[in-house]
Amino acid sequence: MAQGGISYFGIRHHGPGSCESLVKALQELQPVAVLIEGPVDASPLLPLLASSDMKPPVALLCYPEDDPAATSFWPFAEFSPEYQAALWAAANNARLRFIDLPSAARLAGPGPEGSMEADSGGAEATELRAEEVARIQDPIGTLARAAGYEDGESWWSDIIEQNPEPGPIFAAIADAMTTLRDGETSIGRFEAMREAHMRLEIAAARKEFDGPLAVVCGAWHVPALRAAHTQKSDQALLKGIGRRKTMMTYAPWTGPRLALGHGYGAGVVAPGWCKHLWQTRGRRDASVFWLARIATVLRAKGHMISTASLIEAERLAQALAAIRERPKPGFEELRDASIAALFNGEALLWKMVEAELLLGADVGEIPPDTPLAPLIDDLQRNQKAARLKPEALERELSIDLRSESGLFRSTLLHRLNVLGVSWGTLTDVGRSRGTFRERWMLAWQPEYAVRLVENLIHGPTIEKAANGRLIQMIGAAATLDALATLVQSAITAALSEASTAGLAALEEKAAHSSECLELVDSVPPLADIIRYGEARKTETERLAGLLERLIVEGSIALPYAARDLDAQAAAALTGALRKADEAIKLVEPTQDILDAWRAGLAAVLESSRSTALVAGCAAHLLYEAGRLSADATADLLAKRLSPGTQVLDAAAFFEGFFSGAGQRLIYDEYLRGAVDAWLASLDEEAFVAHLPLLRRVFSNLDSMERRRLIEAVLGKRASLPAGLTPTPDGGEAWRRHFGLLRGLIAGEPSHG
Amino acid sequence: MNAAIRLPVEQVYAAELQALARGDDRQKPAGWSLSPRAVLTYLMGGKAGDGTAISPKYVGRRQLMETAVATLATDRALLLLGVPGTAKSWVSEHLAGAIMGNSTLIVQCTAGTDENQIRYGWNYAQLLAKGPSHDALVPTPLYRAMQEGKLCRLEELTRMGSDVQDTLITVLSEKMMPVPELNTSIYAQRGFNIIATANNRDKGVNELSSALKRRFNVVVLPLPEDMNEEVSIVSRRVGEMAGGLDLPVPKNVGEEIARVLTIFRELRSGATADGKVTLKTPSGSLSTAEAIATMVSGLSQAAWFDGGKLHAEGLAPSLVGAIVKDPVQDKVVLEEYLETVLKKRPDYAGYYAALNAAI
Repeated sequence: MAQGGISYFGIRHHGPGSCESLVKALQELQPVAVLIEGPVDASPLLPLLASSDMKPPVALLCYPEDDPAATSFWPFAEFSPEYQAALWAAANNARLRFIDLPSAARLAGPGPEGSMEADSGGAEATELRAEEVARIQDPIGTLARAAGYEDGESWWSDIIEQNPEPGPIFAAIADAMTTLRDGETSIGRFEAMREAHMRLEIAAARKEFDGPLAVVCGAWHVPALRAAHTQKSDQALLKGIGRRKTMMTYAPWTGPRLALGHGYGAGVVAPGWCKHLWQTRGRRDASVFWLARIATVLRAKGHMISTASLIEAERLAQALAAIRERPKPGFEELRDASIAALFNGEALLWKMVEAELLLGADVGEIPPDTPLAPLIDDLQRNQKAARLKPEALERELSIDLRSESGLFRSTLLHRLNVLGVSWGTLTDVGRSRGTFRERWMLAWQPEYAVRLVENLIHGPTIEKAANGRLIQMIGAAATLDALATLVQSAITAALSEASTAGLAALEEKAAHSSECLELVDSVPPLADIIRYGEARKTETERLAGLLERLIVEGSIALPYAARDLDAQAAAALTGALRKADEAIKLVEPTQDILDAWRAGLAAVLESSRSTALVAGCAAHLLYEAGRLSADATADLLAKRLSPGTQVLDAAAFFEGFFSGAGQRLIYDEYLRGAVDAWLASLDEEAFVAHLPLLRRVFSNLDSMERRRLIEAVLGKRASLPAGLTPTPDGGEAWRRHFGLLRGLIAGEPSHG
Repeated sequence: MNAAIRLPVEQVYAAELQALARGDDRQKPAGWSLSPRAVLTYLMGGKAGDGTAISPKYVGRRQLMETAVATLATDRALLLLGVPGTAKSWVSEHLAGAIMGNSTLIVQCTAGTDENQIRYGWNYAQLLAKGPSHDALVPTPLYRAMQEGKLCRLEELTRMGSDVQDTLITVLSEKMMPVPELNTSIYAQRGFNIIATANNRDKGVNELSSALKRRFNVVVLPLPEDMNEEVSIVSRRVGEMAGGLDLPVPKNVGEEIARVLTIFRELRSGATADGKVTLKTPSGSLSTAEAIATMVSGLSQAAWFDGGKLHAEGLAPSLVGAIVKDPVQDKVVLEEYLETVLKKRPDYAGYYAALNAAI
């Protein structure tokens, strides 16, 4: 392993097992310098990584000065060998260097795992490459899977169990890698460049430092770094690598983000499990700690888990390891044993706690003296592009959404709002894109900068961070209507990832929700999105499908939901129904859907168990839609208001029908006739009994409307206000007029 | 010649068990006739040490069988849970047969099972003549298994009353059974253990007390994961049952099985087969066994009333019966499924109409 005073430690990125072995090996070797696989231009930032204020998980971010969206990440967890190597070097006064290609080269290239070779194309090639990438990034995981392990760490610890010395294990890994890479004809040009760069840096360090050197790199690279290459050929390979100016800093990271594969290197499959392995390293009873963690999570969810069950789970794990002929229980054994002994065999219950256990909820911290944060940087750039200056004093801003710059400003302000930075507040709240104009009140507060830095865990640019934060909120949203509102804000802020995630969550939730009020309440925000659909086309289609489904589900659930409600619940449902009906009419769904919705309303009306207020509202909506003829309505009103009905029910029905539709009585002769006939048919006693409910409905009308109604009833006026006399061929005249108008609006040359 | 309809598995598969025992040099837990690895090979299929082919007895995930065998190796009791028709009893019988060479120590638990059938009973003639004595005591399968260090099988554990279930607690935790009438106790010999089976979806059964549940390791046997596998299971069983009932089997039965199973599987899994639409699931289990029953009653309807033609109208009533177990909730689930999924599938038009009419 040692070669010319250089020791090569082939590690598994974010592998606690190799991390433990590495620390032991460094302690034994006492190198004067530690060379780590990482962007060489970030070397000055390395000591900061070892600072005591740096609390992993954190990530090193590198991005081109002018384009933070192209950020590359180098995440470090507590159990990352690279991080522990840096800590060791800082504590032992060894020099620290990164030796990989400068970050600029990576940015210029097609990304960390891409290669610069000409694209051979074809699905097969891509698939092959994915496998290849897995092999390069996590060769130890590949070896483990070949040996029948699901978890690379369990394999590593079993290997260690059989080779207790830290030195030979790295030699053994290097041998394994040599075998794996044996017969390899060509590697991607990008990989070749990286390895060439590392070789050159190692050679330079060899000249510079006197004493043992330690090279910490992905196990895959060890054979290539040890192999003899001339400096000349290496330098030739590196000719013309990108030299874009990049900015670098650290950002706090989270457990779940460690698990994502994006950015540099392989994501960790289970950060929670790795952290457990690292924290309990060297303990014989480590598996008990893991079982105890499972029990803690389960207990927090309200399950009774006794200590005795933990003992049984541990025993079963031991027996399983024996049957599988492994030296000690690993991840799979502990999982299977806890399913059988703690979860009553329910694998589903494991799925419920899996995310919490495996991903963890850790959030890292960075020292206060970390260089500039990319989000603030990005904000400044956006402010410049939008020509908006942060000012502490309030200022009104009117934005025309039809212009590109207006849309840009609006999107920026909406995104900042998503991030909790309310630099701008909408003054005409409501339907933000209902018109082409938005009015904002702008005021910048200094704490917004702090809030932006806090948002770094969600992403390096305002767009990405807003996406990330909304996705998190979507994950936490409990009700359908809340989700619909979140999706609406995602689309308003032009956040496509978040809106895709939101739509998926919405679909999922829509399937499982049978809460009618929630279903109906979610219709208006979705309908709004479709009507002012600036969403991309595919999304609009998906939304339309979803909306149809929500309407159908809502209509099916409606008759059941309308039963036996108290006054408050009935009022809420009635309000939701009116809004949803409004929205549905505006969206103009297919006849099928419309029919389903009206069938739901009709079922409410027909069922004798429906709450009177809701039934009245349903009757009104059906009447408006022309599904109830005037005569039928008159009969219905007469029936529902007849003296046999309890006064309270009759009043509620009447209120449901006419609340918000009292004006209807002024203009609608049929309806007025029906009510009139009904009122006239009452004998004096019944009339007096009904007076309160009539008062309640008519009290919703203002004095002018009331006067008109009286005039209409007494026949003094035409049923329409003066000046609004309908022409017999009004329809045709309007169509002609509309045709002309359309021409004018579209800017066609006039022919007249 | 033996005219028994069915022999215990240790006799049917005697050759395989012997072959496994011959090539088995691994360590065996006390009282076991095979090592845990060999038992696993017996269940999952493979090759014995001398090359004899071993047929697979359980088709499904290997981890589940590993957990089951490992549980018995730790002297913890094993509870196999699952909806009907997931091979619980089958697995239990093969486990007992392979581990002990005896799968016949079995108690079928019912609502009428009392303590005397679990612990021990009395020979009343003896009891009256001589008073309480060992001679007057009638051992149960559980009693024998404890005495001889064997595996005892308890079928459908949750059908038995809770008070009777709880007599097992002492047996499981202290491995002994007191006989207060004789002021003595039976101590379980090494090798003794219990394999219980129970149904986890049935309503109206006696839920295990948590004290008892804690003493079992639980393995849940799932329904078939693969559609084709399930179709072949149903086709085979429907064919067999129709033969037994002398029902003619129309030609289109294969297609109808596939359609009915698609409906069953989609509702059971809470998502359409293409995974694009999530669905609510009804309260019933919609097991493979129910799909078989639905098909058979459809065939019967076809044979006696519809002139031998099997179609959606004939199947719809029993389909609704299988899906709608709770008249309010399940009805909404089915209505929603019909409106959001089946309505859009032209080849299910018959089912859409027939089910809508049948609800």
